[in-house]
Amino acid sequence: MSIVQLHHIRKVYDTKVAVEDLSFTIEPGTMFGLLGPNGSGKTSSIRMMIGITVPDSGSVSLFDRPFTRSALSRVGYLPEERGLYKKMNVLDQLIFLGQLHGLSASVASRRASLWCERLDIVEAIPKKTEDLSKGMQQKIQFIAALLHDPDLIVMDEPFSGLDPVNSFLLMSTLVDLCSIGKAVLFSTHRMDQVEKFCNSIALIHRGQLVLSGSMRQIKSNYPRNRVLIHYEGDDSFLRHPCIEHYKRYNGTVEIRLLPSATLDDDTQSLLAQAVAHARVTRFEVMEPTLEEIFIEKVQQALPIDNDHELSMAQLDQPNAGGLDA
Amino acid sequence: MHNVWLIARREYIERIRTRGFLITTLIIPLIMCGFIYGSAFVYSNSESAAHIAVVGSDTQLVLDLQAELQHRQQARHAQPRSTRQTSIAVDAIDAEPQNEQATRTLLDRELDSGVLDGVLWITPAVATAKDQPARPTFTFTPRSSEQDSLRGTLAAVLGTVLMREQLAHRGIAAADANTILQPVEIVAVRAPHRQDRESAEVSVTLLFFLMYMVISLYGMNVARSIIEEKTSRIFEVMLATIRPQEMMAGKILGVGSVGLTQVGIWLSAALLLSASTIAANLGGQGIHIALTLAQIVYFFVYFILGYAFYSSIAAALGAMTNSEHEIQQLNLFLVLPLFVCFITLKSVLTYPDSSMARVLALIPPFTPLLMYLRVSLGHPSRWEIFASIALTSACIYAIVWVTSRIYRVGVLMYGKRPTLPELLRWLKYS
Repeated sequence: MSIVQLHHIRKVYDTKVAVEDLSFTIEPGTMFGLLGPNGSGKTSSIRMMIGITVPDSGSVSLFDRPFTRSALSRVGYLPEERGLYKKMNVLDQLIFLGQLHGLSASVASRRASLWCERLDIVEAIPKKTEDLSKGMQQKIQFIAALLHDPDLIVMDEPFSGLDPVNSFLLMSTLVDLCSIGKAVLFSTHRMDQVEKFCNSIALIHRGQLVLSGSMRQIKSNYPRNRVLIHYEGDDSFLRHPCIEHYKRYNGTVEIRLLPSATLDDDTQSLLAQAVAHARVTRFEVMEPTLEEIFIEKVQQALPIDNDHELSMAQLDQPNAGGLDA
Repeated sequence: MHNVWLIARREYIERIRTRGFLITTLIIPLIMCGFIYGSAFVYSNSESAAHIAVVGSDTQLVLDLQAELQHRQQARHAQPRSTRQTSIAVDAIDAEPQNEQATRTLLDRELDSGVLDGVLWITPAVATAKDQPARPTFTFTPRSSEQDSLRGTLAAVLGTVLMREQLAHRGIAAADANTILQPVEIVAVRAPHRQDRESAEVSVTLLFFLMYMVISLYGMNVARSIIEEKTSRIFEVMLATIRPQEMMAGKILGVGSVGLTQVGIWLSAALLLSASTIAANLGGQGIHIALTLAQIVYFFVYFILGYAFYSSIAAALGAMTNSEHEIQQLNLFLVLPLFVCFITLKSVLTYPDSSMARVLALIPPFTPLLMYLRVSLGHPSRWEIFASIALTSACIYAIVWVTSRIYRVGVLMYGKRPTLPELLRWLKYS
């Protein structure tokens, strides 16, 4: 059984192709990361997945059935653009949104209180929404998406604007939900979050799928030719012959090994040399980061487009344009 | 349907709870009452305060005039439900031929300064023959045209006084003369099941304005509420659960019910007021609120049609725009048809069955307001009423169809306002 199945969906807004031939599947109990820079089509895909817009071609299945609106009662959605009724009391608001998802007022009220306790915002319950801080409002909306105990939880950039404590609280809540068999899809352009929590990903760029599959599978396609060293003192070990390229930051160096380098011998001799000259606090041999894989994939997919050089700093720039595709 | 109900209920409760609702519900009738009773008060006071000077050499005639005026006033006081009260205070001034010019200038000045409301000059008649007593000549100068009505009252009173004099002259006893000169009173009795036209016109006009006001006010509220949802971005959560059509329907119903509640409160207050003793005491002077049950029923039918028509247009405007400022620019679409009704109000009110009124009342944007006037005051045939309702309903259906499509795409759109070709393309998106 699969929770979500996108089958070659395509969406065009006027002349702009927002999503092109996108297919992926989400299984129950998966933490699914939908990745891509701003304007790559994440939100458009999500909107088609939950019936806010209809794909121009292709099909969407939820819970093994072609999309119908009745399936939406099993979906919890946190949009990227947060929104609540500002003038409404928090509890009334949660009850109202719960009722829209088919809960009775009393059940919605009870669950709302439980969730507020769990997310540590009991004091917000009697207040007006507009009197809450932005982070608190975000938590309220997070609760609103989960109140009806959905089987599919869709969160568009759920942690943007949250402090680390709250991000962690929400993330661990999602992990808990995942472990009891719910499917969680969240979109982000922050690769580090995905790398830590997701067990399955889809990478999209300019509306097209660049990479997808389980995290382990994707990573195993790449050799472990990255070395990360935290050190103090002399950096002469960076002249080691197996190093193809390195980037040095404050007390940290990221090394890419030559394709010819062997995992055991060369890395061990690199470590020995580093220890001989400097005080090493961390030494890790690993696969390329998702960020590097992503950049590589995008550049492969678009070889002609050279003046459009990709870097994550650039990808983080908000895209200008009327339509948030 | 359940979702529509939930949306409508939320909209209703949240709006009823606001201070703004309470304030408008209370303030508007207060202003209206203030206006009605205030004008009635001013009306009755200005009439009773008439103060005139009578200049004549015939002192007896002037004194008789004073006495007769006083007598009439007392008779009227004993009878509270009279039509129009005009109490006239009279200053008697002896006309001495030698300083006539001085008297004239003095009185003119007093007329100008407003101390006097009018001056009556009595010029004694020149007797020609003994049996033929000539009447004196009367000249009345009112302060302004407002006081012109005093002339009629004075003429009636002077007629009585002169007649009494003649009767006395012919040897008829004063008591007999009083009996002969007893004023005739005609009591107005309304024909059963017929309103008197004047008060019907006033009440219907009042309701016309009420409908006009509430439709434009609450139509704008629908637009504003959609914009508010766009700004707060809540609709995206909503659209992930319910259809845009349901959301729009709920919104229109919810906001509309608030309007209906308000109108209901006002109408029942008005009916209570008109039934109460205060209104009875004011009698014909105040504005009489007289409505038949059919008029009230038609009012609500056409109110609902009008509201549905204009608020769905407003919903489309709201979906197309991003700020209240932009709505103001498109407001014309809402205001213009209402304004046409406004201009034609007078002529439809006077000739509710003219061919212009008949044609206009069948054009859907004008139907709610104008057909309501016709139904209340004219005699539209049954098919006209039916056709007006059917045409407007069909039109509302079409507007809602278009609007819900604009709404569906428009609410997800942010950025610039759509151009007309873009709007047409939106209609094609499903």
